[in-house]
Amino acid sequence: MRRQRKSSYRLLVLLSIFSLIAAACGDDSDDSNDNGDAATDEATDDGAELDEDKFVSMLEDVCGTGDDPETSGEDGGGGGGGEFVDLGTFAQGPPDTIDPGLNTESDGAQVIQALYDPLTEIVYDDDAKPTVVPKVAESVESDEEGKVWTFKIRDGLKFSNGEQVLPSSFRCAWERASTPGFHGFYGQMFEYVEGGKEKLAGDAETMSGLEADDETMTLTVTLAEPYADFDATVNHATWMPMPTQAILDLGADQQGWDRSMMVGNGAFKLDTERSDQEIVLVPNPEWDGTKYDEALGLESQPLLDKLTFRVSSDIDTAYNSFEAGEGQNGPVPPGRVEAAFSSYPNTQEITQLGTYYFQIGGDSAVAGDDNVLLRQAISQAINREELDEVVWEGSQPPASGMVPKGIPGYEPDICEFCTYDAAAAEAAFQEWQDAGNELSDPVQIAFNADAGHEDVVDIIADNLNAVGIDAEVSPMPSETYFDELSKGACIDICRVGWFADWPAYDNFLFELFHSSSGNNYGYDNPDFDSMVEEARRTLDEDAQGELYREAERLLLNEDIGAIPIATYAGQYIYADGVTMPYNNTNDIDWAKVSVD
Amino acid sequence: MISYIIRRLLLLIPTIFVAISLLFFIFFLLPGDPARALSGAGDRHVSEQTLDQVSARYGLDDPIMTQFVDYWERTLEWDLGESFRTRQSVNEILGDSAVNSVRLGIWAMIIELLVGLSVGVWSAIRRYSISDRITTILTAAAAAVPVYVLGFVLMYLFAIMPGPNRWDWPEWAQLKTSGIGDDTWAFFFIPTGEQWRFLILPAVSLAAVGTALLARMMRGSMLEVLRADYMRTAKAKGLGERQVVMKHGLRNAMLPVVTVIGLDLGLMIGVAVLTEFTFSWPGLGSEVVAAVEHRDLPVILGLTLAVVVVYSIINLVVDVSYAWFDPRIRFGKGGQL
Repeated sequence: MRRQRKSSYRLLVLLSIFSLIAAACGDDSDDSNDNGDAATDEATDDGAELDEDKFVSMLEDVCGTGDDPETSGEDGGGGGGGEFVDLGTFAQGPPDTIDPGLNTESDGAQVIQALYDPLTEIVYDDDAKPTVVPKVAESVESDEEGKVWTFKIRDGLKFSNGEQVLPSSFRCAWERASTPGFHGFYGQMFEYVEGGKEKLAGDAETMSGLEADDETMTLTVTLAEPYADFDATVNHATWMPMPTQAILDLGADQQGWDRSMMVGNGAFKLDTERSDQEIVLVPNPEWDGTKYDEALGLESQPLLDKLTFRVSSDIDTAYNSFEAGEGQNGPVPPGRVEAAFSSYPNTQEITQLGTYYFQIGGDSAVAGDDNVLLRQAISQAINREELDEVVWEGSQPPASGMVPKGIPGYEPDICEFCTYDAAAAEAAFQEWQDAGNELSDPVQIAFNADAGHEDVVDIIADNLNAVGIDAEVSPMPSETYFDELSKGACIDICRVGWFADWPAYDNFLFELFHSSSGNNYGYDNPDFDSMVEEARRTLDEDAQGELYREAERLLLNEDIGAIPIATYAGQYIYADGVTMPYNNTNDIDWAKVSVD
Repeated sequence: MISYIIRRLLLLIPTIFVAISLLFFIFFLLPGDPARALSGAGDRHVSEQTLDQVSARYGLDDPIMTQFVDYWERTLEWDLGESFRTRQSVNEILGDSAVNSVRLGIWAMIIELLVGLSVGVWSAIRRYSISDRITTILTAAAAAVPVYVLGFVLMYLFAIMPGPNRWDWPEWAQLKTSGIGDDTWAFFFIPTGEQWRFLILPAVSLAAVGTALLARMMRGSMLEVLRADYMRTAKAKGLGERQVVMKHGLRNAMLPVVTVIGLDLGLMIGVAVLTEFTFSWPGLGSEVVAAVEHRDLPVILGLTLAVVVVYSIINLVVDVSYAWFDPRIRFGKGGQL
């Protein structure tokens, strides 16, 4: 017994020593703190930590004394469109948050779209040419430069607690969502607004570019730089309004908004506080869709009587739940696409505003003006149809450009070298070699490992080898993949996927390929930068579209700075009798959803 | 006995400290920047300024030892911190999810004990018969099939096929594929209303492996006991078979089985992760999966703490129960343990 006790003590000591060694060796996640200084709990000058007193004080200044809410006293009357259980939105776990100011995920945004109405709506009557239609804003105007935007807010709109929707409702929400120490990832969007950058850095209390006049119902936004697509940007969940009184009542506990009975101005309101198992919505009695533009085609109340978002932890379980008749829609897991289309006639493919592509590493052996023919050969050697059939069961259409259909200004087949042509690829490669070039090492096809891309890169490697281009796959750890790419690790071509936050050309070209963008892993052309910058300032849609298309041609056909592979599409199954309008950003117009 | 129990409870303290501390430091050995994962940026570029603010918000910019000391100072006050991902109190998350896991575990254990022990005793009594061979095959299969495969098969047979898209059975006969339903219970663990339709499949899946193991263990242990002299004596006295088996045989056969039950309870904690994930049952297992995926350190540590405590207590209860099953075992001075 005594010997056993001694052994136990020795083991405990050894484990403790190991812990201390691990502590000494494991501190590689915060290089900036190697000086060992302990951080304090007080607000730092760069606003890194949230000063709760300052936050509350700012909200009180900006949000005013709050409105005196007065509800109609009625229950929301659904249009008899039945009860809808949605299994497709939260098929891989609950949302982190459904607070519009903090949400970063598209699934949470679906609920936000039901609870809140934005300043403008994107209408897809013509798939190829979506239009921005004023919604909560009665009118949207900008100055000639596209720098000062004026939103006239409609009279008579209310939140579900009876508070009026005012210009200050937006200003309050945006100041809240841009507070350092509180804001989520999309808080960075407020850098568009004059004074936003300073506010996010902690150098200013509020954004100087915001003016909210509740008397004249006018919200004026002065941008830091002219930006022609700002009216589309404010459709994003981060720019939703908030009820000022409810926000002030929360005080310092702004994080608590998400788990409380959130109040919105949308077609639905929460029936109960949300849980991690489901989110239940009922019609908002204070909402009247007929107050909006006829172009939006809305009724006075949403068609559904009840809308439940059911959470599943796994996409296969969500699909099984649909098969068991437990919901009205569901996702289609990879590998079951064919079965879904054959078993359920209502299965639908929804094109999404996203592109699967490979970027050329700026410092790689395939970059540079001397290697254009090599890059052309690589792009033409890739059999995109084969990838779609073999890997994605025909569910991800081959890309013919960087920008997918549904983006204003989109034109099909803009990429000259995105069609599979093995003979042309061989010829281009031979021409490149004849010019005195040679590959000293195989072309590296970098990708984030264990994220489902292995089959894709294997096929691409085979395609390249088949035309004489020596290529091999180069897996990198998923956890550090994009960090490493941003530090220059894109060698030679690296896989990237991108979904637009709002339907605008610049959300692809500027965000991915402008030299100032952090998502750009190696493309650098001042001419491209100039074209995109000019397009961002151009208010005329046709002229803007032409500029962006020119820039895209430069990127894809002259420089071959990227190799588009596929356009993202999602597959969803529906029960019989479901009417569910989708648009290309994967947003659902919940007010128009019904079940027969 | 009392001093033994006290010693075992005191041993819990260094056990918890070492387990949690190891996990704490291992977290920082993982590749990647936790601040980036917590920023919600996904694949998008996130500015250094935002990363600094996220680090400051979650205390990740403090030196690791400072974070370690802060963590234990709070934990000693039973403040397990806030989830990095949702900012919910970990105490709250633990409370909600632990309750659901315990309910599921209770029913899984009931199934294991009722079915496993009965099958084991039956197989021993009817050894080498056809029914014994059938149960041998079934228990081997139940032990071999992974729980998530079994879960999907049960889901298909009892939820999807009876559903409106296939056989369209009456609603009461259709079990549910996922979730916890209205969460209505009597006496903490007895499902009321429609609750049982959500409970059956995950409980059976969770119990499958343990039931098979118990059945095999019980059979083997019972076979040994049935050969014992005292069993022959009991029969010779004229006692009926039921009395001989249940009164004299079962209790003695239980000792090794109790050990397996203890181990099984520990295993169940791990298997529950897969079961809860498969059926979207909102328990500790589901929370663990989400926490690990999002590198939510406070939740990982809080759930581990709960698991270590529960597992240690279960083992203690199992050890103490030996004395009940076998009065010859005594604890404390001069005892065998």
